[in-house]
Amino acid sequence: MKYTQLGEFEELVLLVIGSLGDNAYSISIKEELKRHTKRNPSIGALHSAFNRLEKKGFLESYEGGATNKRGGRSKRFYLITTYGRKALDDSFELRSTLYHSLPQLGLSE
Amino acid sequence: MNESKQYRPPKWPDKLLGWFCHPKHLDIFRGDVYELYQDRRENGSKIRADIGFFFDILGLCRPFAMKSHKIENSNNIPMFKNYFKITYRNLLRQKVYSFLNLSGLAIGLACSILIFLYVNDELSYDRFHEKSDRIYRMVEHFEDEGNGEHSASQPFPTGPTLQSEYPTEVVQAVRLFNFQSPTLALSNKEADKAFNESRVFFADSTFLDVFDFNLISGNQETALDNPNSILITASMARKYFPDEDPMGKFLELQGRQNLEVVGVLEDSPKNAHFQFDFIISFSSLKPWFGGGYPGTWYWNPCWTYVVLGDNVSKEQVESHFPEFVDKFFPGFIKEDVTLELQPLTDIHLHSKLDYEIEANNNVESIYIFSAIAFFVLLIAAINFINLSTARATKRAREVGVRKSLGSSKPQLIRQYVFESVFMTFLSMIFSLIIVAIFLPAFNGLTEKAVSFILLLEPARLLTLIGITLIVGLLSGFYPAFVLSSFNTVSVLKGAHQKTSGLNFRKILVTIQFAISICLIIGTIVAINQLQFLMNKDVGFDQENVVMVPVIRSPMGQHYENFKNAALQSPRISSITAVEEIVGAKHQVGNYQFEGMEQSKPYARFNMRHDFAKTFDIPIVAGRAYDINVQTDDSLALVVNETFVKSMNWGSAEQAIGKRFYFRSELRGKVVGVVKDYNFVSKHRPIAPLVLTLNTRRGAFNLFIKYVAVKINSQDVEASILDIENAWKSVMPSMPFDYFFLDDRLNDSYKVERKLSNVTIIFSVLTILVACLGLFGLATFSVEQRTKEIGVRKVLGISTSQILVLLSKEFLFLILIAFVVAIPVSYLLTKEWLNGFSYRIGIEMWPFMVAGLLTFMVAFLTVAFHSLKASSINPVETLKYE
Repeated sequence: MKYTQLGEFEELVLLVIGSLGDNAYSISIKEELKRHTKRNPSIGALHSAFNRLEKKGFLESYEGGATNKRGGRSKRFYLITTYGRKALDDSFELRSTLYHSLPQLGLSE
Repeated sequence: MNESKQYRPPKWPDKLLGWFCHPKHLDIFRGDVYELYQDRRENGSKIRADIGFFFDILGLCRPFAMKSHKIENSNNIPMFKNYFKITYRNLLRQKVYSFLNLSGLAIGLACSILIFLYVNDELSYDRFHEKSDRIYRMVEHFEDEGNGEHSASQPFPTGPTLQSEYPTEVVQAVRLFNFQSPTLALSNKEADKAFNESRVFFADSTFLDVFDFNLISGNQETALDNPNSILITASMARKYFPDEDPMGKFLELQGRQNLEVVGVLEDSPKNAHFQFDFIISFSSLKPWFGGGYPGTWYWNPCWTYVVLGDNVSKEQVESHFPEFVDKFFPGFIKEDVTLELQPLTDIHLHSKLDYEIEANNNVESIYIFSAIAFFVLLIAAINFINLSTARATKRAREVGVRKSLGSSKPQLIRQYVFESVFMTFLSMIFSLIIVAIFLPAFNGLTEKAVSFILLLEPARLLTLIGITLIVGLLSGFYPAFVLSSFNTVSVLKGAHQKTSGLNFRKILVTIQFAISICLIIGTIVAINQLQFLMNKDVGFDQENVVMVPVIRSPMGQHYENFKNAALQSPRISSITAVEEIVGAKHQVGNYQFEGMEQSKPYARFNMRHDFAKTFDIPIVAGRAYDINVQTDDSLALVVNETFVKSMNWGSAEQAIGKRFYFRSELRGKVVGVVKDYNFVSKHRPIAPLVLTLNTRRGAFNLFIKYVAVKINSQDVEASILDIENAWKSVMPSMPFDYFFLDDRLNDSYKVERKLSNVTIIFSVLTILVACLGLFGLATFSVEQRTKEIGVRKVLGISTSQILVLLSKEFLFLILIAFVVAIPVSYLLTKEWLNGFSYRIGIEMWPFMVAGLLTFMVAFLTVAFHSLKASSINPVETLKYE
């Protein structure tokens, strides 16, 4: 199986972007990550991750949705590409395969 | 839309973001941090929000988000090829500019290379000895109330005694001695070759250990150990023994002593403070002084050099000197004597003592030369900058095209800096060619033998390349900056370029001309001072005096016969004999006059009868020495006016009859006072002088060195022949030698003459280079204003008005330069002149001449362009409008 070069933080970010659907931009992603993981990534760390993911081809972006709150500036929205989705699938598959090969602890059934 | 209140985040972190962030991300990032800030303000305090805002921005400071300074294509080699090609094309297309630019810089560089070679050679004096940092010359100051001497030489016993007293500190000592004689006669009897030689020294056997002079043949260790041995240089070997091996052959000294040649030395290096042709073992001297060395501590004829031990300081040894003087020097001079150690390497540039072996150079002239070199180079570099920026407008279109094709500013700067470095290297090559051509002439001028090969040594070559690079970079950066900052669109539209940097250029031109004017003023003052030194009445007649060296010759026995024989000739009017060259040198003697407790040192001059007559020195009071008064030899003295003044004897008449001690008795009398004359060069003021008659035959061994013959004929050659015949009639076997007094005295001002020669040449060159620059700038300025002139011509301007229009600007700059140059050059020349006892006053006219000269040259340069501009048909310049 091919290694997909998806780091742990990157995988999380990618998953969150997927789960947010149309409303995935830096601040909402930040909030969502904070809610799920209890960590509060800095905006710089996030943009750094977006940049890397985009370069790897897992993300696409478009600009829009300016608000007053932002001083009239656009947001950059992110979408998972098919390739990104496949990377998530691969990663999940790899993990679950490996997980299922773990010896049972004997509490179930 | 959310209509909640808008909070303003702090400004400076926001600016920080704008400063580092790549524009592609800036809007999004700024939006993000603003949004976060609003959220924080809604839920918390301002201060927390501000801090959060700052840290958010700091967190965004990541490599991917930064502005990029990288050029995407890192393969620069084709680019450099292109630069090269463009440089080459520009060089050819703008031939006049290229020529001005290259030649100006090449001349500037050549000048500084020449001066660099000169200074380098001057600084290299006496450094080739392995022990040069430990070798010191002993100096004896023998002075009382300003009278006396500062002697470069020592009594015979000083060197050996010092060494035996302090053997751990003074490791070696060597003495040089030459009978204080200007020449000594040497002959190879077998080959019938006899000459008077001036560079003969007796030297201790340690000579070759202390100094590093190379022997071509002979034994380095034992060469000077035995008496009656002589070392000769290679060229002397050729002179005396043209076809044979000189080793083991004999040379005869003064017709009295046979010396065996035990070694051949390489010719003495030019960069040593003394030059020699013959070195005779010191022990050969014993027969001349009755079997031993003179033991007196008064007569000080030996140049004495000592080598100190490792880690022994000069001060440490000098601290013993007072005790040393007290122990050994005779009582009557003890109080007046102080000894000093003079570093060997300081002698050539810093030593101005009495009885130097050769006249030394002056460190001031080194400074002046270096300053000139620097300024010439500066002017050339300024030219280069001015011409390049002026030329820039010509290339504005190229810049526009390059910019629109995507050249970034740094790339353009690199291109133009590359170009200027390339140009400087080109001119460096030209300048090396110029140096190669002119070095022999320069060597002739400065009396040096610097070879061109010296420049090709790796270290010097690297220095040259370094200088070129620095000049290229410095002078290339500003034009590059101007060029690359042109606005693309306006340049391509062909709009008139605002000549930014015109003010900077004006300042540079002003500096150039200020330096040129200073140099001209300096040159005029230097020439004047030299003329003044050489022409000013010295108080005695130096014309038509033939000097014949006679020391250590049998002349003592034959003087009267010689004199009578020579005076037979109608062409010879008077003959005397003197101790030193009149007007160049003197000796010092101790005298005790009435009212003095102890004898004191005074400048002293031994001579024979007819001295005042031969040199035409007026007697102010009393009489000259009289051949009919037998006791004049011992009981009479003639002094000069300054002497009378320094003794407070009142008038010259009152000085007559003042008594002095002769052999501890107050028996002698002052019989005459002569008018003051410059008995040494005009570098020094006239000091008290005692003229002593010395009629003893033995005087010719030491106290009388020359016979001076006054000729009164136009036919100089016949007069010389008469003297020679008289000489041959009394001493047929001695070689006859002579020189003219005025020639020799002019040599006293060699340093000043060299200085003025060099400054004349270099200031002419500086003006030339500065004018090349002005020429280029005027061309540029005229080109800029062709349209204006066209319009003006249509409206009826006359040629002379155009001239005024165009030259006004430059002439104003020169006026400013003149105003700046006057005080600077006034102070500098005043400082220089202060070093002379006899000096010219600073007058107005050199300043006026320098100003006018610069003004004229600049005006002509600009006028040339103005005439050219006025001859253009306005139709040509205006029809494209």
